[in-house]
Amino acid sequence: MNQETQVFDHIVCPFCGCLCDDIRLEVEGNLITGNETGCAISKAKFTSHHEDRIRPTVRRGGEHVEVSLDEAIDRAVEILSSARRPLVYGLSSTENDAHREAYKIAETTGGIVDNTSSVCHGPTILGAQESGEAAGSLAEVKNRADTVIFWGSNPQFAHPRHISRYVRAQGEYIKDPKADRKIWVFDIRKTITANMADEFVRITPGKDLELIGAMRALARGHPLDVDEVGGVSIQKLTEIVEALKASKYGILFFGLGLTQSSGRHRNIDAAIRLVQDLNAFGKWNMMPMRGHFNVAGANKTSTWQTGYPFAVDYARGYPRYQPGEYTSVDVLARGETDAMLNIAADPAAHFPRQAVKHMATIPVINIDPKRNMTSLIAEVNIPTALAGIECDGAAVRMDGLPLYLKKVVDPPDGVLPDRDVLRMIHDKLTKVVG
Amino acid sequence: MPGNIILKNARVYDPRNKVDGEIADISMSDGKIVDKVEGKAKEIDVKGRVVMAGGVDMHSHIVGSKLGFGRSMCPEDHRNDPVPKTKVTRGGVGYTMPNSYVIGYRYSAMGYTTAIEPALPALKGLGSWEELEDVPNLDSGLLPLFCNSMITFNYVKEKDLSGLAGYIAWILRKVGGLGVKVVCPGGTYAWAHGSNVRELDTEVPDWGITPREIIRGLCQATEALGLPHTMHLHPLNLGRVGNVKTTMEHLDAIKDIKGHNGRKHICHLTHMSFETLGMFEDEKAKPDWKWVSSGGLEFADYVNKNDHFTVDMGQITFGPATTMTGDGPFQYTLYQMTKNKWANICVDVEMPGGAGVVPYYFDPKSPANAVQWTIPLEFALSVDDVWRVIMTTDHPNAGPFTKYPLVISWLMSKKQRDIWMEKLHKFATERSTLKDIDREWNLYEVAVSTRAAPAKIMGLSTKGHLGVGADADIAVYDLDPTKVDLADDPERIIKVFGQSYLTFMRGEQVAKKGIVGKTPHGKVWSVHPELNDALWDRTNKELEDMMNRWYAHSFYNYPVPARYREHMEEAIVVDSTGVAA
Repeated sequence: MNQETQVFDHIVCPFCGCLCDDIRLEVEGNLITGNETGCAISKAKFTSHHEDRIRPTVRRGGEHVEVSLDEAIDRAVEILSSARRPLVYGLSSTENDAHREAYKIAETTGGIVDNTSSVCHGPTILGAQESGEAAGSLAEVKNRADTVIFWGSNPQFAHPRHISRYVRAQGEYIKDPKADRKIWVFDIRKTITANMADEFVRITPGKDLELIGAMRALARGHPLDVDEVGGVSIQKLTEIVEALKASKYGILFFGLGLTQSSGRHRNIDAAIRLVQDLNAFGKWNMMPMRGHFNVAGANKTSTWQTGYPFAVDYARGYPRYQPGEYTSVDVLARGETDAMLNIAADPAAHFPRQAVKHMATIPVINIDPKRNMTSLIAEVNIPTALAGIECDGAAVRMDGLPLYLKKVVDPPDGVLPDRDVLRMIHDKLTKVVG
Repeated sequence: MPGNIILKNARVYDPRNKVDGEIADISMSDGKIVDKVEGKAKEIDVKGRVVMAGGVDMHSHIVGSKLGFGRSMCPEDHRNDPVPKTKVTRGGVGYTMPNSYVIGYRYSAMGYTTAIEPALPALKGLGSWEELEDVPNLDSGLLPLFCNSMITFNYVKEKDLSGLAGYIAWILRKVGGLGVKVVCPGGTYAWAHGSNVRELDTEVPDWGITPREIIRGLCQATEALGLPHTMHLHPLNLGRVGNVKTTMEHLDAIKDIKGHNGRKHICHLTHMSFETLGMFEDEKAKPDWKWVSSGGLEFADYVNKNDHFTVDMGQITFGPATTMTGDGPFQYTLYQMTKNKWANICVDVEMPGGAGVVPYYFDPKSPANAVQWTIPLEFALSVDDVWRVIMTTDHPNAGPFTKYPLVISWLMSKKQRDIWMEKLHKFATERSTLKDIDREWNLYEVAVSTRAAPAKIMGLSTKGHLGVGADADIAVYDLDPTKVDLADDPERIIKVFGQSYLTFMRGEQVAKKGIVGKTPHGKVWSVHPELNDALWDRTNKELEDMMNRWYAHSFYNYPVPARYREHMEEAIVVDSTGVAA
């Protein structure tokens, strides 16, 4: 270690919804050289922060031409101010202050603003709108949970430290996490998480809803006149339900295997009802395994600033909410939107083909630190600082806990935080359309 | 900086300075009330209209995770109440859980200038400060919860009052809190075990301590620190028929505690409507809703005989409400009763239990709701000292704050109460004495209950009055009381208090005839107790150990960073160095 190495402790990792806040970083000059505590993904995110950066560009004659930041912003303003139905999308990989500016842009332009939860845990929100939600906390899981379920979720792959920090960790009332706490995995295939679980229940693909319905019936004492449901024998299912009922404190973690498989929000509604029913026997809560580090924050900021968690339309000068109508994939697939402002997300890589096809026909303004699929098809690219590495901000953990992200190194020369770029766009927009 | 303004010919109701409807001029300069302005001033002749200090709401859920959860899970709540943007205001939605901007606008349009969020899960302080950034036109403050935290329990178990006081001081400073909130002490913790604690002497699971010890400890620590606001209490056994007895037991249990510097009041009991339910006298009666009666009169009698606490009403209004409390087990009971959607939010107090949210509709034809409606009115109209009775709806639990004008009409007009009682289930007259009460509050009493007293109780010395040095937060109401008999014209009361004629915030005119014209940001009030170095060092050391052991994030990431606070925060520094280490 040379003399110039600075050490930062208690840093929050801005990668997944776990927001691990015990990261220790070593910084030399303006480069992060070490990350001892983080998982492999965290190490890569911090130590390669300077790689693959984009430059401000606009498209001229089909080519990306590098321009000044001001020129790129002017072009963005031109596109947004002349759009009839702009779409503002993304937000889940940036900090909360940037969201505020994005909502202002949507309001000023009379556009739609949506975040990435419309393609991940949107169905979770719809389920909660139907039935409520017994929401869990990670500290309670660590201290109290004797039964932990991962349903359609593979944390060993997507949230690498989730199990070691909260589930296989010792808690105040769980002294021996291996003996006192049982991990169940419900999935359609034996994942690496299933390999380390105490129990694995293999579900026939697309049969989650039936299975949960059957579990609810059994929990309520209704006999079922079938041999198996969703690939699980009734005898096995009865044993499972009895075990869940006998738990003192249970938690259901669930992922996209439940939210985005056949049934979608109906699966979540059923899961919520199952957890609510189980509260008649022991204490039960649930928690969506949020992917992007601040997708939970995007739902929160949207809710307090617009009244709704995602899929918000300002066309009438006030916010309206309608998933399926104002959700990004739907407005794109219908060819309804004529300009898109994408912030801290990569829709070109993740949206269905029909939506991406329309994206290719409209001007896309892409605001992101790094090169990605969307940057390739964008009309305008504006580079920004990496939240939680090159600028500060707040983000929300998967259990709703807000955490402060720190700035540990400077962004590249002339590169600003998302919030500043968005504010500059909004300021200029108000002069044109205000 | 706003310039000089003189309100000419104001009919002033300023109970803190004992002004009862006299005609006077009010001068404002640089955001403060002054005796005389120096130099030029804009004169506004209000022609004998009623002038009061800006309204102060001491208990209203305007920010925080449970409100966010409620908003998110109830889009149907907002759907019929769209609020278009204007040149100066943001677009939004209303009804029981408006978005942040609309909360500020609607308070401002009614002549309110301060609203306190009474249930902050301290570890989520950062989120609440971020939200306050988007609540315009209001001063505010946050009351962190201390009642179900394992750190509190640890100090109570050790009988370590200094440790407990140190913990409270640390939280108030690090997250920017204004006082000590207690909700279902020990019961919410028990909710982590799927159970509740309903009685003061029932042991809290895992800890072997009782709610009695918890509230005594927190009350003593609050007084030892000398915090401006007393312990803000939501007792055990909420929403249960006959619980007026439990509530009086709570108040008896702390009665002997000496107030800081000899002050009389050591506790504020909040939303009494939910915790002063009586039980109808009948040999078959048992604690279920069939046997509910009003405990309002019995509790008023207790208040008149015991002068160690203040109370707010939590008045039930009819129509939609959204119940949200830090009382997790109560919310589950309500869910079981209504089968409405139910959210539990256990991260709220980090370790245990936490909050819940259940939408609710208060129905005039419901026997229970009809009785509930009578309780706070019967109470407020039977208490001798109005300074101890604060008008609230525990927004949005018993109804949204936008129903305040209606509540004021009930308090000011017997005629209005009779009109409403006609529409209600007969229990409103059979299970309460409200129909026999003739008392009607006058404007002076309204001014006490909606600004002077709540500001005093919260310890906000520059709020709630119009004396020299006060913040120039002013409401002008479109009424000449010499020409109207308000008691005889309840619709007029609703109209007058529904929209201020003018609202000033720190000397700046922000609303006129219910239209918001300016959207300045108010201050967020907090207390900053100074401890002696020995206690401060000890507290830091012990909290680091406990938080790192029990929480799922670091002690070092607990505080709300200055950058989210310093541009809004108005910290009241309190000398608590006398608390021994």
